[in-house]
Amino acid sequence: MSIVFTCMDADTLGGIQQVTHTLAQGLAERGHDVHVVGLHRADKPFRYVAQPLYKHHVVGRGPIGPERRLARRQSDHRLREVLDGVSPGFAVMTSPGVVARISPMLPPSLRPIGQYHGSYEHARGSWHLGSIRKHYPPLDQAVFLSEDDAWLFTEHALLPNSWALPNPLAGWPAAISPLSTPRVLGVGRLEGVKRFDRLISAFALASEPPWELHLLGDGAEIGRLRAHAINEGVSGRVVFRGRVPSSEMSAEYMKASVLGLTSEHEGLPVVLLEAAAHGVPAVAFDVSGGVRSAGPVLAPPGDVPRFAEALAVLMASEDERRRVGAAARRRAADFRLDHVLDLWESMFAHIRR
Amino acid sequence: MPECTVVVITYNDAPRLPRAVRSVLGQTLHDLEVIICDDASTDETPTVAAELARSDPRVRYLRRRVNSGGCGAPRNDGIDAAASPYIMFLDSDDNLPRHAVKSMLHEIERTGADFVSGQIARVYEATGRQARYYPSLFARRRVVEDIADEPDLFLDSFSTNKLYDVGFLRREALRFPEDIHYEDHVFATELYVTARRFAVVPWVIYHWRRAQENTSISLSITDMDNVRHRIAAAQRSDKVLRDHGREDLLPERQRRFLRQDLRVYLNPLPSRDLMWAKEFASIVRPYLATIPHEVIDRLEPIAGVCCHLILDERIDDLRVAARSLTGAGAPPRTALREDGRTYWGTTLSPGMDITRLRMAELPFSATRLRHEITEITASGGRVTMIVHTYDPFGVLPTEWTAYFRNGRSRVPIQPKPSGDGYVSEITFIPSAKGDPRIGFTRLSDGHTTSDRLLVDPLMKPLDIGGYLVAPAGASAVLRVTAPVTRPSLLRRARRAVLRRVSTPKTKLAVYKALIKVVPPRKDLALFESDCGKGYTGSPRAIYEELRRQGLPIGVIWSVAKGRKNFPDDAGRVRRMSWRHIWTMARAGIWVDSHGFPLDYPKPPGTRYLQTWHGQGIKSIGFDAPDLRADFPAPREQWRRAVARWDALISPSAEFSRLFVPSNGYTGPIFRYGTPRCDALVRGDAVPFVREKLEIPPGKRVLLYAPTYRDTAKNSGKSVRVDLEMMAEALADEWVMILRTHPVERYKVPQHVRHFVRPAGSYPEINDLILASDALLTDYSSVMCDYTLTGRPMLFFIDDWDEYRLGERGVYHDLPAIAPGPCLTTTQDLIDCLHALPSVHASFADKYAAFRNLWCHEERGNAAARIVEDFFAVPLEAPVTDKTVVWGAP
Repeated sequence: MSIVFTCMDADTLGGIQQVTHTLAQGLAERGHDVHVVGLHRADKPFRYVAQPLYKHHVVGRGPIGPERRLARRQSDHRLREVLDGVSPGFAVMTSPGVVARISPMLPPSLRPIGQYHGSYEHARGSWHLGSIRKHYPPLDQAVFLSEDDAWLFTEHALLPNSWALPNPLAGWPAAISPLSTPRVLGVGRLEGVKRFDRLISAFALASEPPWELHLLGDGAEIGRLRAHAINEGVSGRVVFRGRVPSSEMSAEYMKASVLGLTSEHEGLPVVLLEAAAHGVPAVAFDVSGGVRSAGPVLAPPGDVPRFAEALAVLMASEDERRRVGAAARRRAADFRLDHVLDLWESMFAHIRR
Repeated sequence: MPECTVVVITYNDAPRLPRAVRSVLGQTLHDLEVIICDDASTDETPTVAAELARSDPRVRYLRRRVNSGGCGAPRNDGIDAAASPYIMFLDSDDNLPRHAVKSMLHEIERTGADFVSGQIARVYEATGRQARYYPSLFARRRVVEDIADEPDLFLDSFSTNKLYDVGFLRREALRFPEDIHYEDHVFATELYVTARRFAVVPWVIYHWRRAQENTSISLSITDMDNVRHRIAAAQRSDKVLRDHGREDLLPERQRRFLRQDLRVYLNPLPSRDLMWAKEFASIVRPYLATIPHEVIDRLEPIAGVCCHLILDERIDDLRVAARSLTGAGAPPRTALREDGRTYWGTTLSPGMDITRLRMAELPFSATRLRHEITEITASGGRVTMIVHTYDPFGVLPTEWTAYFRNGRSRVPIQPKPSGDGYVSEITFIPSAKGDPRIGFTRLSDGHTTSDRLLVDPLMKPLDIGGYLVAPAGASAVLRVTAPVTRPSLLRRARRAVLRRVSTPKTKLAVYKALIKVVPPRKDLALFESDCGKGYTGSPRAIYEELRRQGLPIGVIWSVAKGRKNFPDDAGRVRRMSWRHIWTMARAGIWVDSHGFPLDYPKPPGTRYLQTWHGQGIKSIGFDAPDLRADFPAPREQWRRAVARWDALISPSAEFSRLFVPSNGYTGPIFRYGTPRCDALVRGDAVPFVREKLEIPPGKRVLLYAPTYRDTAKNSGKSVRVDLEMMAEALADEWVMILRTHPVERYKVPQHVRHFVRPAGSYPEINDLILASDALLTDYSSVMCDYTLTGRPMLFFIDDWDEYRLGERGVYHDLPAIAPGPCLTTTQDLIDCLHALPSVHASFADKYAAFRNLWCHEERGNAAARIVEDFFAVPLEAPVTDKTVVWGAP
């Protein structure tokens, strides 16, 4: 059976891509004929899997953005060649843009599956909800990151075909963090949606030296965030670390005691799962079913004082960190790749029912 | 064993049977069986069915020996023959959407319910349009333990939009009655009271197809037998409830009858003759008499009146009343007012009480007259008609003029008093599509009220030069339909070319080319307020100051489509038209309050004055939700848009602290106060605002100005107070001016219109502020401007936590700083309004502090100073070389 994953851009550094390549490799290891297709070329391609067992195609010649008519026609032609050349199976389209573009091109032998990697709350604030309402009902399955999100989409986009599949954890660490370094971790692009300003404010409310806040990632907001840290009086204890290669992330979790997630929107952030796998307790705004499913300590969305209180509780007690961290790790086991692949296969079985 | 059985019942429907069956065979659930239950058809059904069975082994064909005359018997055959654990029913003229069976099967497995009910949609075959049946019933995906928890679900008495556990049906011996047509009503009632629990899903699982011609049993509503069957089904359903000891549900089941079944006949009653109506009433009356009056009185008033007219055997009146059930909801011919109550007709009887509609208390321009056409003829290319006008609430004064309007053409008419109203003879040439109206203009103040015309529903359409004049809808409103004309080839070609060329993309490209070659004119300014939606705000104040000073600067206003009230002494261009694109390139000065089209770069040399339209507690710029989504593009776009500003008007230190950094603005700032607020500081009230809004003398005015909700724009959801409750408590003393936000859409319901004056599109909010006695808002920036009046303010913030944390985000804790009470219930709001002077006095300190925070710098001369600094300087000079023009940044 073949499984074709299609992304707008399959090779750029990002959450959708990481999940897609992890799943593709996992399903290929289970003996499926797996393909990953990028509709556009990445500006800075990133290699997610060292030795892929799946086939990888990039059908577009340019980066994401408007294409000239001829370029689009050539790209569609190459895409058709890939789609028509595979045995019957499933076409997994990883975003609303992909669904809108390629579901009319799918051969009947490939059963269409549309994923959405954001939360319902994010979709409803953008064009995504309208697109999902329009293009997802005819698909054989519409896949969301958590049961709660699937439920909301069912009610608000009238989907008869919703299903929930979590993101997988690519690895499972043998050791867990000692939770003794006085360090709060924030991981993600320094962009507006991540709202690291709130994490800095909460950290300022909750912490005393020697606690530090390390922000891992880069992005356009760095200037505003530095200024914000100065305003909050914690510029000396907020460390902007820049981007950290994924191979070194495990070591970062081992040196962290708490993870903070203050994003405006999150689907099912892999960083929550990875922290949990390392036994690191997390505090997060309750912004989606995906966040809830990963089991962090929750604060009402946007409520910085409550978030700070939760942070303070964890910072104050190593025992509490250990207790919450251990529970998080137990919960994270549900997201181990093997288990998630089982869930994918039972969904395939449901579609074939 | 298959996973599910779908029973397709059919009778003499061979042409459509294959479509129904194929919609099952094409389901995403593969492992199912189809049982065709043929009620002894006399057409080619056996051949067609046999062919279907031959082509797919999942199809079985059962045929009754004798026709049963209904749907019950063949469905029961299906239950008996089902070989799977679950069953659904499908009629041969309908079809199932592709996911129906699998999605319902999955739901019943997930919930362990006895049956699952899904959304049903009517599909109009002529147009392909779909209409969901009572979507609110199905909106939430849920499990219901007892129908008493959600008695509205009696409205869903279909058998086809459900998937049943066959074991449950057999165990409880649930079967369809075989001797009446509305067998599913009885079946559903029994189903609801026997099920341990059932599930409801929001998605569409059944397409109820309506072809042009009505042949199906349930649609032949003219047939009197049909009425009898429907009554019998209601009586049998009531009996089912009694037999199961569920008398508690009787009122709810009967309510369903009144809201749904009875309306099937009442709505089209105006087009039936008197004999039919009499017979219908005599069939309905005995059952109606068994329904307690409390149940009838919960209906909307006109429907209740109809029930009482049936009970009282007033059939002529019933036909008059039924015309108010649909369409424009015409007023009665006559009404009686007594002790503040309003009664339908001429008798004072509790059943005729229609006070709740508040039709008698409407302001003149919204008041209702009933125009009935008694004669209508066509001759010589004209329509001539006699119209009887009823004024049931006695609203017409002694001095008025009247007109008849069709499209843009208006003819004066002379209605003559006659008995219980007025009679007019009207002659007109149909010239535009739409519903013609008759209007009466009150001479004392020029206000006009207009209403549509009712015509005989059975009138033959008149064809006047291609225009059709005919009754429309069940209440038979006079409607003119225009002939379909094909534009000439030249026009079509022109339109096709324009459509290709006039795209936003080409406009932007042309603009970008233009600004490279066209030098901006230093003495030409392009003004825009609220994205072209009005002549208002700071741009207006600055414009008027420019004119007062007589500066030699030409001004062109950008005007959104359909907006009026712009000054005559300025140029006007429609926003985003080609002329607008050209003017943007040509004008050396840009002034606005929101943002010129975001993707349009500013031509080199043009000076852009950003006046911004408000200040307050709401998060703004990069902190606001529309720029917080997980896409970089909108943030980049806004960053570029802000970089175009050459000067920004900042009303206060607080604005500078909040707004400036959250938009990443680094340019010069004018700190002279706000041009928009000059009129408020001066307090020059505009004459006739109260008259324009029909506010009776002596009434106090509450300006209600809620802001929009970011996730529910244009939804009407920002109007959160209970208007009906407020009207009930306050209408004697107060009138509310409802100023909704420009991105909000809300229609004030007629029954509160006597208390609420819609002013969402009123051109100038300053006029409303100055005409009001108090402000009610939630989080709108109007709260800052309003402090300049010193008048009381109230805050209705029932969604404060949602708004501050999730929806929008705020910079201030409103309850802590608000210059008036923050309320979460309408009752508290009413109490505060009753005690307003003392409530307002108790907030004196907070009021002063609030005003100081936002409006400390308002002197009433901001426009003058800005004109001096931005416009009166030699026009070639840069805006300023200082970062702050006056005061601290």
